[in-house]
Amino acid sequence: MIIDVHAHAGPWFFSTDVGTVDVNIRLMDRYGIDLQIVSASEAVTYDMVSGNRWMAQALAEQPRLLGYIVINPNELNEAERELERYADTKRFVGVKIHTTYPALPLTSTATREALGMAADAGLPVLVHTWDDSVLSLVDVLEQHPRLRVIAGHMGGPAWRTAVEAAVRADRLYLEPCCSVTDRDRFRHALDRVPVEQVLFGTDSTLVDPAIALGVVMDAELSEDEYEHVMWRNAADLFGIPV
Amino acid sequence: MVALPHTVHARHEIAFDVDVLFGALPSRNLDASMDAVGEQLSRHGIARGLLCSLRGGLFDACSGNDEMRKVTEQTGHVPVGTVDIRDALTAETEIARMAAEGVQLLRLFPPEQWVEPESPGLRHVIGTAVAHGLVLLTSGDVSRYWPAFSGTRVCFLDVHAYKVADFVVLARREPGFVASTRMLVGPDSIERIAGEVGAHHLAYGSRAPVHDVMPSALRLRMSGLGDDEWRQVAGGTATAWLEDVQ
Repeated sequence: MIIDVHAHAGPWFFSTDVGTVDVNIRLMDRYGIDLQIVSASEAVTYDMVSGNRWMAQALAEQPRLLGYIVINPNELNEAERELERYADTKRFVGVKIHTTYPALPLTSTATREALGMAADAGLPVLVHTWDDSVLSLVDVLEQHPRLRVIAGHMGGPAWRTAVEAAVRADRLYLEPCCSVTDRDRFRHALDRVPVEQVLFGTDSTLVDPAIALGVVMDAELSEDEYEHVMWRNAADLFGIPV
Repeated sequence: MVALPHTVHARHEIAFDVDVLFGALPSRNLDASMDAVGEQLSRHGIARGLLCSLRGGLFDACSGNDEMRKVTEQTGHVPVGTVDIRDALTAETEIARMAAEGVQLLRLFPPEQWVEPESPGLRHVIGTAVAHGLVLLTSGDVSRYWPAFSGTRVCFLDVHAYKVADFVVLARREPGFVASTRMLVGPDSIERIAGEVGAHHLAYGSRAPVHDVMPSALRLRMSGLGDDEWRQVAGGTATAWLEDVQ
């Protein structure tokens, strides 16, 4: 069983033909991925409302996909309405907050408020993390006792800092997908962070799942680690019946 | 345990990895010794690496190249020299020395050596290497560094999936430009480049031991390339460099 907690649906502006949900399913079939939690690329990079609407329609037609409600911290009032619109539909099981496209760092007041809104909605949040600011999530989690945050990309190049943060905060989860596959990065995390806080994600369809699976294979997971990382932790975190 | 997705047996052995290093990594607590690198390549079904010394790239080219020559003689991997672009004067004699010793490939480290794309030293080093008939390997963003390499035979080791379009438009007019597959991580990046400009513009690279090898190896093995295209990327391109130079 494999649950991929970091994926996308919809087209990207790079030279790649990944516009349709069929591509998600084809890649899931190729690599044995059972369920995938996706956000609309449009909602992440351009228009939160239009993108989430497209995502809701796609989720209604594809049972192997679950969704993230994307919220843009630049538009907190509209983000609140997006949470109200989709949080109880059962097809969206989490919230996605990017930092690059809204041009707001993790440390910004607006991003912290958006994280608090997700906590109030009772949904886990996948946050794009790509530098040492991932450490600031420890403070945010202390302020919001209901909040559960996934550090997407495990901090990217700041993966050692992400591991430090996860050691300090038991509601901070690590998801390691990254196109730069620093050797032993994943094993470094597994050897330090409680296994219940480590998840599997691919960044598909932006990135081929072979990359994340290759990282897992090189980390030589034990059976217990595999079970927790590849599906059990995700099922517990998102309330997915398995 | 993670099960390997089904891959065609014929695609298990990768004949050449064009992006292999050994030595020491000050930024990591990592065993980058030749023994560790050799084990990593072997475990992942990689027959031979185009091997360059980290000492040469990060500290001292001359002693690094001596170290590289000794190791490649012992292991059978293909020798790749390097120079320090910040010292283009010393690089002149070092390139001549390596070429005289039969080294056919030169690896450059512009970002690691803090060398900008418009650096006069970079252009001088490239010109000197070309005059000695060397094939070039280089790190750095292809979208920024390509002008200095125009007209040469060069493998860009850091071409990202996001830069596929840039690489294709360059390769259409630069017959010697090759992209390493390591960061061509999109679901159709490798296939798109092969389809647009031909698989001879691609070569497999892992950057062992700095990076995990399985991600890039699995991506290549699971690619939608035809058999001839696959063999070209998994070794044919590097073989052609070596045959052409001889």
